[in-house]
Amino acid sequence: MDIRLKIVQWSHSLLQKAGRGGSFPGVLALKMDPDFISRFHMPETVILVTGTNGKTTTNNLIAESLRAAGIKTINNRRGDNLNVGIASLLAANSDSSFHIQADAAVIEVDELTLYRQFKNLHPTHLIVTNFFRDQLDRAGEMETIIRRIQEVTEDFEGDIILNGDDPNVIRIADSAKKAKIHFFSVDENPISRRTTDEASEGKFCPRCGRPLVYDYYQYSHIGRFHCDHDGFGRIDPEIRVTSVDYQKEQFVCGGRSFHSFMNTIYGVYNCAGVLTVLKTLNLDPACADQVFANFIIKEGRNEVFQLSQPCVINLIKNPTGTNEVMKYITAQEGDRNLCIFLNDNDQDGHDVSWIWDAHFERLNVPEIKTIVCSGLRAYDMALRLKYEGLEDRVRVIEEDTAAVHWLNEQNMPSYIMATYTALHRTRAILRKEEKK
Amino acid sequence: MKLKILWMYHDLMDLYGDKGNIEVLRRRAEKRGIECIVDTCTLNEQKTIEDYDLFFLGGGADREQQLIYKDLLGRRDGIQKAMDSGTAFLLICGGYQLFGKYYKDQDGNVLESLGFFDYYTIASDRDHRCIGNIALEATIDGDTFRMVGFENHGGQTQNVATPLGKVLSGHGNMYRSSHEGFLNDQVLATYMHGPLLPKNPMAADKILQRALRRNYGSVTLEKLDDTLELKAQEVMLKRLKVI
Repeated sequence: MDIRLKIVQWSHSLLQKAGRGGSFPGVLALKMDPDFISRFHMPETVILVTGTNGKTTTNNLIAESLRAAGIKTINNRRGDNLNVGIASLLAANSDSSFHIQADAAVIEVDELTLYRQFKNLHPTHLIVTNFFRDQLDRAGEMETIIRRIQEVTEDFEGDIILNGDDPNVIRIADSAKKAKIHFFSVDENPISRRTTDEASEGKFCPRCGRPLVYDYYQYSHIGRFHCDHDGFGRIDPEIRVTSVDYQKEQFVCGGRSFHSFMNTIYGVYNCAGVLTVLKTLNLDPACADQVFANFIIKEGRNEVFQLSQPCVINLIKNPTGTNEVMKYITAQEGDRNLCIFLNDNDQDGHDVSWIWDAHFERLNVPEIKTIVCSGLRAYDMALRLKYEGLEDRVRVIEEDTAAVHWLNEQNMPSYIMATYTALHRTRAILRKEEKK
Repeated sequence: MKLKILWMYHDLMDLYGDKGNIEVLRRRAEKRGIECIVDTCTLNEQKTIEDYDLFFLGGGADREQQLIYKDLLGRRDGIQKAMDSGTAFLLICGGYQLFGKYYKDQDGNVLESLGFFDYYTIASDRDHRCIGNIALEATIDGDTFRMVGFENHGGQTQNVATPLGKVLSGHGNMYRSSHEGFLNDQVLATYMHGPLLPKNPMAADKILQRALRRNYGSVTLEKLDDTLELKAQEVMLKRLKVI
């Protein structure tokens, strides 16, 4: 028995009883023992989920699918993907001798810290969703992230599940020679385009530096591509989504129809990743379909609050994710208001310049009546919108409670986009406002 | 009046929202009734640089910077001609470094740069990367004002004879240094992203005036409503406790 583990577990259960989660137990654990994470006897199956976008969704869909298949599974479902969050998860699910009490662990790991924790977590599977430009001040340049992941997977002999339609991601297959590589891919479908104004990465072949040729783009630089010179990108996907029907909210894969979770292109990619993981584990895809149909992911992924009119909140953290959220908001019908919370705390990234890489001109539809800008960098956001000719509709309300209250008073459906630290506060404010 | 901007390597050297600078210049020109043409120029593309009033080059990640390196060096004569003809230059981050003498990477390899100016850049170790919000006091063409931005660079730029401004908060050309950027009467070079120009409308107008100078001499620009711009700037100046 380890007294430090005992203390950590005790603090966790106290917090639970007080109705609070959080990463305090993990902070405490790593303070007392920097090697805390490496001490655990991990379950037979350990699936690590990393990438820029879609980690939390993919993690939850995999974990729920394993549960549906009757496998006792733990996961960091709220997306606490840094060392402290992972330490908290493991401590909370361990016996007193560091044995994890589950048959499978699905762990979302921040793409920046993955290289430090990879070996400590004894993974059997690694799934990589995508690599986009994120908050670069925190992330360093994407090149560094990819290189580090390549380094730690060089000797890895487990299963690596890769988004075959992301040139940044499939580079890992070139270096992870000992691993079993599985690609997933989504065919051309109604949202696919021949050209794009969104791609900022993945223009060049990482092997030879020549421009990549795209047959079509799905969103950002995700799509079907190859290099004419050396064949980079010519993959053989194990899971291939052959069609997507956005009206029926379904997609077809392996001749079988699935519910399209979230009914967006990035949702289909998340589902395809989940199906690939299930295939490597020889599990019935029906377990996943059941989850795609019924699982509700809360916490800022199309989460609905009942204000005077419905209010839908989404997390935004980088240009690609923001572009996709805006496509969703503008595809809705009827008059609506919008509120954007832009913070620049540690977890948001201190650099807000990424808003200039996102396509805010898409908000220029007449049904969007007012765009409230709030948060620590409300004026930066307002200024960004001015450059899309939206200044007449912009209203700055720096204080978050006042901003939500204003939305509620308008008696009009509303949409909120919030950066990470704003999301949690705003959800709490929305819950209070719901009760008014 | 007409203004021609050449946006170099728009598809490669575009980091941290640098493209926003082009939008600012275009909008502030058009608001004054100045016709603004923005042409892009990427690898292996023929462009006569001296035909342009403003040359803009942003920052890029290491990989992108390597991709453009040879191509840019091959354009040295064209850039020299443009300098001689009075073209104004706005250079951010990597663009700034590439106009100096050389860049020495972490392994000690020296990459010769364009060599227009005497400054040079040495890669730092991880602990000395300059990251964060920054505020300066700059004097451009006789006017002194504050500027804000976001810096994020490993390179330590030294031997800058005429910096852009005095650091009020942040790092500047080197880790915890006193000065930021490079300025002469034609070239403004800086590490400031953010992007630079939206929250620094005074600097944006100075650059416009410099670009208009070779065809129209000294131009007075009509005042614009910069309430949001100055408010966004003020939020940051207050946060950094420099006002």
